[in-house]
Amino acid sequence: MKSLRRQLTRELSAVLAVLFGVSLLGLYLVMYQKLTRSFDVALEARALGVTALAEQQNGQVEVDFSEKIMRGFSAGKARNYFELRGTNGTVVARSLSLKENALPRPPGGAAEKAAYWDFKLPNGRPGRAVGFLFKPKPADDRPESATVMAELVVAVDRDELDETLGWLLAAVAGCGGLLLGAVFFVVPRVLRRGLAPLERLGAQAATIDAGSLAARFPAADLPVELQIIAGRLNDLLARLEASFERERRYSADLAHELRTPLAELRSLAECALKWPEARDPETDRDTLVIALQMEALVTRLLTLARGERSRLAAQCAPVELAPLVAGVWRPFAKRAAERGLRVDLTVAPATPMADPVLLRSILANLFDNAVDYTPTGGEIAVTGSAEGKLRVANSVAADFAPEDMARIFDRFWRKEAARTGREHVGLGLNLARAFAVAMGWELTARLENGRLAFMLGVAEK
Amino acid sequence: MRILLVEDSPRLLRNIATALRRSGYAVDTAADGEEGLWLAESHEYDAIVLDIMLPKRDGLDVLRTLRSRGRKVHILLLTARDTVADRVTGLQAGADDYLVKPFALDELLARVQALCRRAYGAKQPRVVIADLEIDASARTVTRAGRPVGLTARELQLLEYLARRRGEVVSRTDIEAHIYDGQIDPMSNVVDSAVCSLRKKIAVSDSAAPLIHTRRGLGYVLEATP
Repeated sequence: MKSLRRQLTRELSAVLAVLFGVSLLGLYLVMYQKLTRSFDVALEARALGVTALAEQQNGQVEVDFSEKIMRGFSAGKARNYFELRGTNGTVVARSLSLKENALPRPPGGAAEKAAYWDFKLPNGRPGRAVGFLFKPKPADDRPESATVMAELVVAVDRDELDETLGWLLAAVAGCGGLLLGAVFFVVPRVLRRGLAPLERLGAQAATIDAGSLAARFPAADLPVELQIIAGRLNDLLARLEASFERERRYSADLAHELRTPLAELRSLAECALKWPEARDPETDRDTLVIALQMEALVTRLLTLARGERSRLAAQCAPVELAPLVAGVWRPFAKRAAERGLRVDLTVAPATPMADPVLLRSILANLFDNAVDYTPTGGEIAVTGSAEGKLRVANSVAADFAPEDMARIFDRFWRKEAARTGREHVGLGLNLARAFAVAMGWELTARLENGRLAFMLGVAEK
Repeated sequence: MRILLVEDSPRLLRNIATALRRSGYAVDTAADGEEGLWLAESHEYDAIVLDIMLPKRDGLDVLRTLRSRGRKVHILLLTARDTVADRVTGLQAGADDYLVKPFALDELLARVQALCRRAYGAKQPRVVIADLEIDASARTVTRAGRPVGLTARELQLLEYLARRRGEVVSRTDIEAHIYDGQIDPMSNVVDSAVCSLRKKIAVSDSAAPLIHTRRGLGYVLEATP
């Protein structure tokens, strides 16, 4: 399995190792150049010392070696060498340390600019040489007398330089090894520590399933970068939990709505079979009532299912609101009067675009609920504005709480968990809202001063 | 045996109550949680059949309240909720059994019978006292191998006395557990029922009396007086 920590460890270690390697190599090369340059400067100084002793007279080059100078090129030490040639290539002078041997000429030919090169000394050891052309000073000190050039090659044993460079290389390699070890030791630990919150987050996420949606990530304990992720995950979990809860509630409610009448039917049938003498006409009436209730429930569920698949085709046309509202209210007036409800119907003339069939269904549902659920002696107020907006408000029981508003359009929701009154199955408002949406209207509800108010009108774009 | 039935569906309430009564149980009914709780606390029931989704006070609340007040009566939850979580919640709240709607009436009756048996610490449906054998499952009684014909209520009375064999069972206990509590305190319905039962289980002249009267106290069902 691909691991972010392992991948980071691998890549970071490799990058750090390369960076350290390149840096140390660069350091070594700079130091190499510096030391070689210092060595060359010393070599050139030695060569200049030799040129100071060379003179020319009448086109001939002569050398006057002092004992002090020659001591550095003695045969015994055999570490320093020089060879002075005339322009025709004849050797004018050479150090005693060379004995019968000769020094090589500069690789690119002699030039006034000093050339440096490495070669094997006559004693077989590695050496470094400098060679150049120069004009020996005239013996009579007159510049015009200087007419010929001389070629000087000075060579030295480069043992000390190589030894210093060797130590430098060893030090650089040692440091490189130490740094590499440190990288492989430190990087995994630093990454493990740094990525620990991410791993904790992952481990916690792995424990979340459908049964633990109430769990939340402790965002406050996480680094800022992960707090955003944890926050979003917590939001997602909250939405999922709400969704699961809604689904669970819907399933439980649907099960209740279907199982209870089934249980009634079954118990009726079993009682009738078990004790046939107890069967009376009431049994058949009960059976019919249960069948009709289940039919109504199935019809509403099917309508909702069609609504969800956007198969509710609204046929909108200008509708005279006032007569439509009055017509829908008429069948409810008697029940409202029996319950002692005060009713106020004030609908201003307006002709909004609506599907009259769907609008009648919505209003019938709202009026049915209002008449049945308004406490005895309560009030129902239906008002309509000139803009075609309708408002159906009715008094509600004292235990109707603002939090009920969040669920009022949920399927099978009723204020009372038990389904005492079988006339209402808790699908009406959900259906009414689906109808409103189908014709481009919106149906909303709010609780205001002990009154439940439904607002119905063309949706604002 | 006296049962409390709490169910908000009036038709289901009527049907189950009818079935229980016809099976010989004394049945009290309640249509909401508050009335159910009041009845459960006011009477000694052998078992309670309790719906979960009830008006005024839900069944789980009634159940928890009864348990928190130390009531040990056996309770069967009757509900349309069938998920494992719902069953676990119900059983953890203190229910003894759980039945999902729709249910077979015979299953409900069998479960209620089992709960009533457990109320008297018995696991076997059969009770044998001397040559009297009562099979509560098959709803049969035999004496010396001969079948005894009893009404449902007489069978309940005999089973109740048999479950409490050796104990003096007062008339008040019999009224409370076998009748609906609706009988007139001055009536002799219990004495009449016991007398009728005695005659029916005395299948022959040689059959030893099993139901003995403790004057002023009640009745004892035992092989020896």
